[in-house]
Amino acid sequence: MTREHQEFREDCLAILREQTQGKRVHRRHFLQALAMLGAIPAGLRLTPAHAAAGEIVIVNWGGDAVPAYDAIWAQPFNGANPGAKAIINGSGPSSGKIKAMVESGAVTWDVCDRTVPASIELGRQSLLEKVDWSIVAEDKLRPAHRSDWGVGAYLYSFVLTYDARALRGPAPKNWKDFWNVKDFPGKRTLRNNIEGMLEAALLADGVSRDKIYPIDVDRALAKIKEIKAHTIFWTTGAESQQLFRNQEVVMGNLWHTRSMLLAKEVGDHIKFTFEDGVLFPGAWIVPKGNPAKARAWQFVASAQDPKSQVELFKRVGNGPVNPAAAAMVPAEMKALDCGSPENFARQVAVDNEWYAEHYAAILARYLDAISS
Amino acid sequence: MSAAAASSSGTERLYWLMLLAPCVFLALFYLAPVLNVLVLSFTVPRPGVANYAELVNNAAVQRVLWTTVRIGAITTVLALLIGYVVAYALLHCGPRERRILLGIVVASFWISALIRAFAWVALLQSRGLVNALLISAGVIDSPLSLVRNEFGVVVGMVHYMLPYAILPLYTSLRGIDDRLVPAARALGATPSQAFRWVFLPLSLPGLIGAGVIVMIFSLGFYITPAILGGGRTIMVAEFISVQISETLRWGLAAMLATVLLGTVLLLVMWLSRFMDVEQALRK
Repeated sequence: MTREHQEFREDCLAILREQTQGKRVHRRHFLQALAMLGAIPAGLRLTPAHAAAGEIVIVNWGGDAVPAYDAIWAQPFNGANPGAKAIINGSGPSSGKIKAMVESGAVTWDVCDRTVPASIELGRQSLLEKVDWSIVAEDKLRPAHRSDWGVGAYLYSFVLTYDARALRGPAPKNWKDFWNVKDFPGKRTLRNNIEGMLEAALLADGVSRDKIYPIDVDRALAKIKEIKAHTIFWTTGAESQQLFRNQEVVMGNLWHTRSMLLAKEVGDHIKFTFEDGVLFPGAWIVPKGNPAKARAWQFVASAQDPKSQVELFKRVGNGPVNPAAAAMVPAEMKALDCGSPENFARQVAVDNEWYAEHYAAILARYLDAISS
Repeated sequence: MSAAAASSSGTERLYWLMLLAPCVFLALFYLAPVLNVLVLSFTVPRPGVANYAELVNNAAVQRVLWTTVRIGAITTVLALLIGYVVAYALLHCGPRERRILLGIVVASFWISALIRAFAWVALLQSRGLVNALLISAGVIDSPLSLVRNEFGVVVGMVHYMLPYAILPLYTSLRGIDDRLVPAARALGATPSQAFRWVFLPLSLPGLIGAGVIVMIFSLGFYITPAILGGGRTIMVAEFISVQISETLRWGLAAMLATVLLGTVLLLVMWLSRFMDVEQALRK
């Protein structure tokens, strides 16, 4: 969490800087300023940042995902394509950074690790390249796992996670139990973001899984406010883990990958269930004007290989998105695959369109509701 | 004579040139971007004052600003109270103790806000040191909520701001003529009267100066409330970052940044009435 927070602040500064300075003007003035300072050492040349030939920069959210993506996707891709150099960068491709890059005309990223809803939201603002379906295989994805601008990369789920030892009594089975502070006393944790949280609130309020969308925002926020006093809101995945590790909470709505890590790291008294989970498709997106051009899609196509997706699942828990991968998941791990037919049937599949349309406005209302 | 004058004016010109370079640097890399933020707040997403209308119309924006001002004010009052006591003690203790105390105050500058915030989480959480001690001592039965709420934010912020309160206060108190209090005593004032009527009024400019500095810093806090507030204490810096990074409402973010900057500038102008900035720089 520490690094993410720090970077976040730096990001904002960087974004403002990029947004507010035309690149060419900036450089000329910078040179003038340097000249005035007498600080131009011989041979120093300021060239605009551009990728080396053959380089494809893939940006994800850091942590274990950097070495995992590198070993599973980047290195095999480089091996199979002489001259190509796919690099994994863990600096976090937030919407703000992508917008800043694209609008300043200084795009240095080729492929970003985001979600299908975000692909639609950013694509409609002309910040992304359209998917080249002549390179990427459409038939390796279910329709809900692709958009005009995004290619499903893996699946992840927001799941009810609990500390069985701290709760002592019976295990919570669904979000109704999560909201029941009388029979399940103790602090909970939700995310300070609407994804997966509004859905959980509606499920707790008795809405059935197939009636979640379009989300009744007033109802969901009223439900969130019910347990607000008992809730700590997490920001980063690392923070959600830390809350369980320090026994600050007894229950939480976490990314299932983090719940799996907790069970492995803290002990098997940390349990989670896919029942009423909220399933999101992670997606590859390509910022408009990316340096590697269409070769970015070649990388994306290579990551559609079901075997590689199963490898990623084994390593960090992300569920394979290619339907062909389900059969390759080892029997003993099938229960952990958030995209398996059994688990899929117990969860809410996110409505990409709803998020693309409402994310910004409803997020602001959610933040207001939890901080009021 | 004329040669000396020429060389002195040459030296002066050199000084001016040396001064010019950082000024140009600041203008390009600080002033210009700041002005651009101001422009953004009036032009994005469309030209007009729509972003500023949010100050009146948007309850969420108002709440964030109110939280920021409220926590900033509470932090300032507490930091001044504690800072005054410490500065007063610094003034009246022996030189050896003063060196040690000042060392402790200055040393806290070296610890990052992040580490301090996590240290407070470790101390104050339900199974943290403080709660464990209180429970084992039989003072309380169940742990108190000391962190992941506004209380935790204030603790963390006051702790962070204390050196910024103590050092200017100490400088200001040291400037007070130390014969005045004994003179008041000699004229029959009790110790508390001498303090209230003589020492405290003389230290008021220092108090206001330190208070403005602490308030200015507090308004822009980001990391401490984000970690210690449990997600429920959202101050303006965090709100701005969400608008920039997540929801892409840069106009709104630029408006809030401009409001924040304007507030700080006003406070600085007010500060300059109580503190001789030039003299402070000379020290």
